[in-house]
Amino acid sequence: VILIPARKFDYDLVVIGGGSGGLACSKEGICHLYFAVLDYVEPSLKGTKWGLGGTCVNVGCIPKKLMHQAALLGTAVKDARKYGWQIPESLPTMADAVQNHVRSINWGHRVQLQDKKVKYLNMNGSLVDKHTIRAVNAKGKEMTLTTKNIVLATGGRPKYPTHVPGAMEFGITSDDVFFVFLHCVCEDVALECAGFLTGLGLDTTVMVRSIALRGFDQQMAGLVTDYMEAYGTKFSWRCAPKSVEKLPSGLLQVTWMDLKTKEEHKDSFNSVLWAVGRAPETKTLNLEKIIVAADEATSVPNIFAIGDISEGRPELTPTAIKAGKLLARRLVGHSDELMNYENVATTVFTPLEYSCVGLSEEEAEKRHGKDQIEVYHAFYKPLEFTVAERDATQCYIKVICLREGEQRVLGLHFTGPNAGEVTQGFSLGFQCGLTYGHLRNTVGIHPTCAEELTKLNITKRSGLDATVTGC
Amino acid sequence: MTKYEEVAVHGYDEFSKAVSERKGKEIFAYFSGDKDGQGKSWCPDCVKAEPVVRGELSHLPEGSVFIYCQVGDRPYWKDPNNEFKKTLKLTGVPTLLRYGTPQKLVEDECFKVDLVRMMFTED
Repeated sequence: VILIPARKFDYDLVVIGGGSGGLACSKEGICHLYFAVLDYVEPSLKGTKWGLGGTCVNVGCIPKKLMHQAALLGTAVKDARKYGWQIPESLPTMADAVQNHVRSINWGHRVQLQDKKVKYLNMNGSLVDKHTIRAVNAKGKEMTLTTKNIVLATGGRPKYPTHVPGAMEFGITSDDVFFVFLHCVCEDVALECAGFLTGLGLDTTVMVRSIALRGFDQQMAGLVTDYMEAYGTKFSWRCAPKSVEKLPSGLLQVTWMDLKTKEEHKDSFNSVLWAVGRAPETKTLNLEKIIVAADEATSVPNIFAIGDISEGRPELTPTAIKAGKLLARRLVGHSDELMNYENVATTVFTPLEYSCVGLSEEEAEKRHGKDQIEVYHAFYKPLEFTVAERDATQCYIKVICLREGEQRVLGLHFTGPNAGEVTQGFSLGFQCGLTYGHLRNTVGIHPTCAEELTKLNITKRSGLDATVTGC
Repeated sequence: MTKYEEVAVHGYDEFSKAVSERKGKEIFAYFSGDKDGQGKSWCPDCVKAEPVVRGELSHLPEGSVFIYCQVGDRPYWKDPNNEFKKTLKLTGVPTLLRYGTPQKLVEDECFKVDLVRMMFTED
């Protein structure tokens, strides 16, 4: 007689949320273990919904970068004429190309999950107890799953300014964007959307209550917004919306206050897009804030959380993916490795891209004191801008170092074309303990923008003109 | 009475015609290298995949269309500018796809029963 022990739980691991973190985690499943992933998109207030893959694939990084590229190509066409290309004037028709690409990624994930024998359920998961999940589909059909471990990876959704009358009835968010005139408050999503919408020919205004790109280096944030203003995006600084109404014409009338003068104004727009921050999707889980330990564990030993849902983590795809993979490997006993959240490089894909790794100048001053840091900087001009007769005033590089000894680099900041591509390699240097000496000893590739990092020699302290000359 | 319609076509023009005559219907298409007089294709993967795909046809949605399309002989297929590659963006045979969507299974993906079944049964 052979006794086969009954499985105690239906699954070894259930991941709630099929986004960047959730999918990466569930795809680490190995053959003798039962993994499942639940993914469900609650439609936005406007009714927008999407397929498997989460925010990044459907309403984040991927469509954002493609729209950004579409806008950049519009600028490239203008530049091309200066290089001698004969190109007639035309307006872009944003066809289904972007959505088709997104749908092919939805399908690709679906095939991968099936291939790796990961059970996929298009159902909304909530916790019954620490080993039981209640899943409900769009038609209301319910089922229960029991599992040894749970990973929460439901991500976040855009917030609405609920205190502004009309905001929810008449405004949209990044969940719905692609066809709008913009009017929103100023986090990086706001600037990226405003940037590509302006680039695609739409009359766009950004309304900012206080500062742009809170949490980022403010000198760099200023360069980003200066460039956008020079290229046609309007900014209403230190202004706040008070209410939104729909006019008989169908246009939206926004009443707003100039916080400097305290005067109220009214303006009409085709659309209003709120980009006032994102909130973790925890309501359906019956939870509020989720605070995690260094190993992604919550207060319940078999329940973990990764990605945007957790408090205090970078809201980025690559960190969610890496954390998800490492967590899965630890759960199946293949590894002890924890996720390293330090020195994660990021890029803001505004018309003039901004990329950084490490500390802002403000944070470096706060931690070490202004006297203990040295800031090397340079205003440079991309070679491609010359023939195109483009203004490079905001193309800038700043490397913040400790003043003493080998001058370890604390923060590296770059505005310019292809900022993400330029910075990725330098972020590797960061991981290896980059110093100013290393930068100076590196021979640049010529002619590029990136080489300017190896040529930095003017300090802010010297007060000298930091404009690159020569060659 | 079968719940789906099966159509056999040969070449790009016949394929396009079959599709245009069935507007509004859900169309699944299977592309294979031409079969010889003995019913054997020059494409070995197509020979392997066909019984798998045929075995799952019972899972096709009600009212849908299944187009079995022989693309041409080997030299035609190898030409990178053939109409299937240029217009339908096919990259290999066999290919099983849901027309008008990015959903497709290519080459060895077509050998996998559960992937074929997933394509026929999921949205």
